Amino acid sequence: MSAVWTIANKEMKDAVRSRWLLFYAVTFAVLALGLAYVGNQNLGSVGFENFSRTTASLINLCLLLVPLIALSLGAGAIAGDQERGTLAYLLAQPLARWELLAGKFAGLVLSVGTATIAGFGLAGVCIAFYATTLDVGTYLLMLGLMLALTSVMIGIGMVVSVVSSSRAQAVSAALVVWFVAVLFFDLVLVGLVTGASLGGRALIATLLLNPVEIVRVLAIMHLEPDLTVLGPFGSYLAEEFGKSTATAVLIGALAVWIVAPISLATWAFNGRQS
Amino acid sequence: MSDENAVLVIDKVTKKYGRLTVLDAVSLSLPAGAIVALLGANGAGKTTTFKCILGLTSFKGRISVTGKSVTWSGKDVRKIVGYLPQAPGFSNDDTCHEALQFLGHLRSVPDARVDELLDQVNLARQRDTRIGDLSGGMKQRLALAAALLSDPPLLLLDEPTANLDYESQRELHDLLVQLRSEGRTIVLSTHFVDHVAEIADRIVLLKDGAVALDRPAVGLRAGGGDITVHLNGTSPASVYAALRDAGVKEEHINPMGVSLQDAINRELATMKKEDGQ
Repeated sequence: MSAVWTIANKEMKDAVRSRWLLFYAVTFAVLALGLAYVGNQNLGSVGFENFSRTTASLINLCLLLVPLIALSLGAGAIAGDQERGTLAYLLAQPLARWELLAGKFAGLVLSVGTATIAGFGLAGVCIAFYATTLDVGTYLLMLGLMLALTSVMIGIGMVVSVVSSSRAQAVSAALVVWFVAVLFFDLVLVGLVTGASLGGRALIATLLLNPVEIVRVLAIMHLEPDLTVLGPFGSYLAEEFGKSTATAVLIGALAVWIVAPISLATWAFNGRQS
Repeated sequence: MSDENAVLVIDKVTKKYGRLTVLDAVSLSLPAGAIVALLGANGAGKTTTFKCILGLTSFKGRISVTGKSVTWSGKDVRKIVGYLPQAPGFSNDDTCHEALQFLGHLRSVPDARVDELLDQVNLARQRDTRIGDLSGGMKQRLALAAALLSDPPLLLLDEPTANLDYESQRELHDLLVQLRSEGRTIVLSTHFVDHVAEIADRIVLLKDGAVALDRPAVGLRAGGGDITVHLNGTSPASVYAALRDAGVKEEHINPMGVSLQDAINRELATMKKEDGQ
């Protein structure tokens, strides 16, 4: 068994044992089912909606919840081990630093991913049973985007974890990152558009700086065939790139966001003396 | 002893944290089948020496274990070094078997070795007990089993007798003597020389990051007039009283005999005199 897989396996076992995984999966399932069930209330009826509408309702919930859980778990990965005294002990084993980090990253992504799939899956089965229309493709796309966002946020959390001196400091910093990425960035974008009269190209460049926004735009683009639903920004995107090129650019940026933080964390961890 | 035959060679190792010199040109060469006591007060550089041997921190100089350079082959070196830290970083929720199995997988050790070691350190009955439910002595024995997983030729034990009662210390000493007879080199760090007086073959004293003394323990005992008192039914209290009456200081009396500390202090005083001349 490779060292990376051994560490990943241990991380998953610890996640199952701590029960946060179960709590997270159940929370996800309950919220997804709740959204699907009450989604038609505004239209005068209550009952399970179809996949597309449920997916659309879930986007905002996911974009709040997934980064929060992934960032905080990533932040606790190294700083928590250091605080418990397990980090020095692990590093004294025949294990390269990158292997430890890669193993923890893989273990956390698989744990959170499994919980997300379980939560989504449970809701999906219920909706599929009762809903009138079935758009499984969109639902699976949504799931894929959430897993990608999970990987990005765990990577960012691990960067924070590696450079922090305590678990509390790491988790606090991770919450700041969450606040900026999920809540504050939107305001900055609006400010830039209105105040600084940011052009379309500059706006897209700014958007690529935030993986949460990339996932949001990708999700909306595939839920709504008309990009103008994204406002002037969507119109610019459609005119300048077209839907398929825009999708490729956004997916490429998301891939960079998956690789870059964990690479940065490894570099910082290698340079750190225990 | 030539470096080719040595299990561990430390050659002019210097470690600095900023402006603070923690190790200052430390050199040691340790043979196979020896127990070496690394002594020194807190902050003398004992744990840093271990970190350097394990390649956990950068340093100037050269360290090799069975000829493998720590600088260039850190991972390979850690495979052949068993390490028992002051506070082993086990997860309290793991059972003894799970903890060793995990570490065993990192060292590519077959699962059968885990049960063999649990048996060797008298923890076979605690195989499926949570580590959080073990006593301090049991945890220490488990950590020793972890250090022995890959059957390493070199063991680094950081304060192994701290937090152990007298009976557990005796058990640990017996085990270490057995391991030495198997040809392993054991480096024990401690700031209580009395804890290792009976079993050490060699005493290395670190002071302010430098080797202040490096002598065979036998020589020190002979020169220092070390005394072992066998009680033979006499009450310990009356023996202690007799020793005090004979002028032996209270801090030098312990159940394992009179400490080596006097001998070491004498040796250091002699060295200072020689330096002065």
